[in-house]
Amino acid sequence: MSAADTQANQPAASRRGFIGGAALFALAIGVPAAAVRLSDLHDEDAPTPALRAMLREVSQLVIPRSATPGAGDIGVGDFLVFALAHGMEGTRAPVANPAPGLPLRADGSLRHAAWLASELDRRAGGNWLAAPAPRRAETLAALDREAYPEGPPPAVPSPWRAIKGLILTGYYTSEVGGSQELRYELVPGRYDADIPLTPDYRAWSSDWTAVDFG
Amino acid sequence: MTAPMNHEFDAIVVGSGITGGWAAKELAEAGFKVLMIERGRNIEHQSGYDREMKAPWDMPFRGEGDPDLFARDYPVQQLNRHFTEFTQDHFVCDRENPYVTGDDTRFTWFRSYQLGGRSLTWGRQAYRWSDYDFGANKRDGHGTDWPIRYADLAPWYDHVETFIGVSGAAEGLAQLPDGQFQPPMPLNAVEVDLREKIRAKWPERVLTIGRTANLTQAKPEEGRAHCQYRSICARGCSFGAYFSTQSSTLPAAMKTGRLTVLTDKVVEKVDYDPATQRVTGVRWIDTKTRQRGMATARMVFLNAGAFNSVHVLLNSASEAMPNGLANSSGVLGTHIMDHANTMGALAVMPGFETHTSFGNRPTGIIIPRFRNMDRLDGIGHTRGFSFQGGALQSGWTRGKRQAGIGEGFKDEMRQVGPWRMVLVTFAECMPRASNRLTLDHTRVDANGLPVLKIDFAFGKEELAAVAEAKACATEMLTHAGGKVLFGSDTPGPGGTSIHEMGGARMGHDPATSVLNAHSQAHGIANLFVTDGAQMSSSACQNPSLTYMALTARAAAYATQQVKAGAI
Repeated sequence: MSAADTQANQPAASRRGFIGGAALFALAIGVPAAAVRLSDLHDEDAPTPALRAMLREVSQLVIPRSATPGAGDIGVGDFLVFALAHGMEGTRAPVANPAPGLPLRADGSLRHAAWLASELDRRAGGNWLAAPAPRRAETLAALDREAYPEGPPPAVPSPWRAIKGLILTGYYTSEVGGSQELRYELVPGRYDADIPLTPDYRAWSSDWTAVDFG
Repeated sequence: MTAPMNHEFDAIVVGSGITGGWAAKELAEAGFKVLMIERGRNIEHQSGYDREMKAPWDMPFRGEGDPDLFARDYPVQQLNRHFTEFTQDHFVCDRENPYVTGDDTRFTWFRSYQLGGRSLTWGRQAYRWSDYDFGANKRDGHGTDWPIRYADLAPWYDHVETFIGVSGAAEGLAQLPDGQFQPPMPLNAVEVDLREKIRAKWPERVLTIGRTANLTQAKPEEGRAHCQYRSICARGCSFGAYFSTQSSTLPAAMKTGRLTVLTDKVVEKVDYDPATQRVTGVRWIDTKTRQRGMATARMVFLNAGAFNSVHVLLNSASEAMPNGLANSSGVLGTHIMDHANTMGALAVMPGFETHTSFGNRPTGIIIPRFRNMDRLDGIGHTRGFSFQGGALQSGWTRGKRQAGIGEGFKDEMRQVGPWRMVLVTFAECMPRASNRLTLDHTRVDANGLPVLKIDFAFGKEELAAVAEAKACATEMLTHAGGKVLFGSDTPGPGGTSIHEMGGARMGHDPATSVLNAHSQAHGIANLFVTDGAQMSSSACQNPSLTYMALTARAAAYATQQVKAGAI
C-alpha cells in the first residue's frame, strides 16, 4: 500500500495525527522524516502516551544509565514502535495457533507492545508503570528469566525475546550505544591478530562478523 | 554511458563481472577494440559506493534493513550473508528478475546485476585448483574428462594473482597449489592453536589462512591501497583494496583507450552465420527503454555469469541451431553444479580468555581437502570436501539469546564475548545431466525474455561427503578443546555456496561437450565462454580464480588465432 493509498482511506483527523506521529518518531530515532515510510505506521501501531512511556521504561530497565546514557534516555522506546511496526526481528509474522485474547493485527501478527503492556500489568497486579520502581524491575526481570529457560530455545518463544532483541538493536546501533558505550571504528587500518584482553577492554560495535554471528 | 556511433568491434564481452572484466582487459591490451555490455546499472568506483561510509545510526533500519522491502523485493537475495541495508543495492531485485525451479528443486540464485557484477559482492577467496580436481572426472567416471590439466593453467594463475593481488601463505600442498602471494594475513590465537593441534594428530589436515584477493601490500601504480581491515567489502571499497572489476580490470582496460562500456543493456541473442560458422555479433534490449540494439564483432566472449551465459546461448537458437547456439551436442544447460554447503561444526573455544584482536580481518581460514587424494578413502564418496571458517569473538548480539537485564547485563555486553570457532563445509558437487538449465517459454521477464528454469538436486555422494565432513569437523574441534554446540550434515539449497557453475562444459569430444580446451565453442571458432559455465567439475574450493585464469588464457589464445587468421 502506498502512502497515498493510506491517506485516501483514512479520515482527515486521523491522518493528521498519523503523520504527526510519524514525524515524531523520525525525530526520536534520528532518521530523516523523508526516509520513514509513512504507510507502514498504521493506526494500530500508533502508540498511546502510556504505551510510549512503558516502552521507554522497559528499555531503560534493560539497559540503564551508567557512565553512558540508558536505552530509554536515547529514544529506544520510540525505536521499538518504529521497529515493531515494520516487523523487524520477525515481529510481523502471523502467530500460529494464537491463544484467545492475544492482541493481534489484522494480518495475524502480534501487537507486541500491547502484549507487553498487558503482560506486565498482569504480573504487577495492576498498572505496571505506576508500580514502585523495584516492583517494575522485579516483574520485568521475571519475565526475562522465563523467556530464556535452560536448554534449547522453546519451540514457541516468548514475544519478549523479540522485544528485547530490538531494544539491544536500538541501543547498540545508536551513536551512543555503538560509539560511546561500545567502540566504533569504521576504518581500523590494521589487523593485530593477538593482543591482550584486559577487563577494561571495551567491545567493538564495528566488528561486523561478531554482530552477524552473535 | 553513451552508446557508440559505430557498432562494429573486434570483440564483444557480454558481462562486466569477475571474468568480463578480465576478458575486456586482456583483449583491449592485446590491441582489440572491445565492447563490454552490462545488463545492470553503472556504478562508478569510489563515488558510486553510496553507503560505504555510513554508520548504523545513519541508516533508517540501522543497517538491518526494511523487512517489508526485503520480503517483497529480495526474498532470495536477503539470504546472502553479505546482504544488508548497506549492500542491498548491490543485489538484484528478485521481483523484477524472476527464475523458476523444478518441482523438487530448492535453489537460491544470488545475483548482482550492475557494472562489476558480483565482483563487488564476492567472498574474495582465491584458490588454485589442482590435478586432483582436473583429473577427477576421468578418475571416477562422473561427468566428462577435462581437456586441460593444472600445468596448462599454472602460468595463467600466476598472471592473474600477480595482477589482482592475492594474500596467502605458501604451504606446499598438492591439493591446493601455492601461488604468487602477497604476505598472508595472520591467524588469530585460537586459529594458531587449532592449526598446531590438528597437525599434530592429523598431519594431512592443514589449517591455513584464507587466500584472499585483499591487498596486504598496496599497488600504488594501480591506485589501490592495502586493506583497511574493515571487512565491509560488499559495500564497495573506495580504497580499491580488494579485487573488483571497478578497482582493477576496468581501469586497466579503459587505459588502453579501446574499451567501450554499455550498461543497462541485456543481451538477448548472439547472432550466428551458418554459412561461415561464425558468430557475427549480439543483440540487446535496453532495460530502461526496451529499445533493441545490436553490435557486430570479430569474436564474442560470454561472461554473463554461468547461468546467464547459458541463458544467452539457449535463447540464441536459430534455424541452423534449433536447440541453442553451440548446442549440437545437446548437453548445453546440463551438468550444473554448486558446492554442497553447510555448517560442519560450531564450537566454543575455552582457554583464550586473555586474547583478543584489533581490526576486522576480511578472510577466514581454510582446511583444504584431505580425502580421496592419492587413495580413495572417503566414506561413500569419491571427491573432496574442505572447510572454511574461523575463530571469532561474540559481540553484543549474543545478548539476544541470553537472559539478563540491568546494570550487570549492560556491563557484560560491554565486554568482548567468548571465542567461537566455525567450520563451514564445502563438498564437491558431482556433474549430473539431470541438474540442468532450460528456458521456460511460458513465462517472460520484464524484458520479454523467457525465464530460466533450474532443476537441481544433490545426490548420495554430496550427502555422504557432508556427513563425513561433519564428523571430521567435530573431531577436530573437540580434539582442540572446543565444546561443539552445533553441526550439520544437511546441505543448504543449491546456490548456497554462490559457486553455481557448469552448463556449457569443456570436453575433448564435440559430441558430449560445448567448449574445447581453450573455452572456445566446438565448431564456432570465434565464440568463447569463459565464466563458470565452462566448468566440467566443481572441485571443493572456490572457483573464481580459476575462471579468471581460464579467461586470460582464452583471450591469449583468441589473440593468437586472430593473428593466425583463424578468427
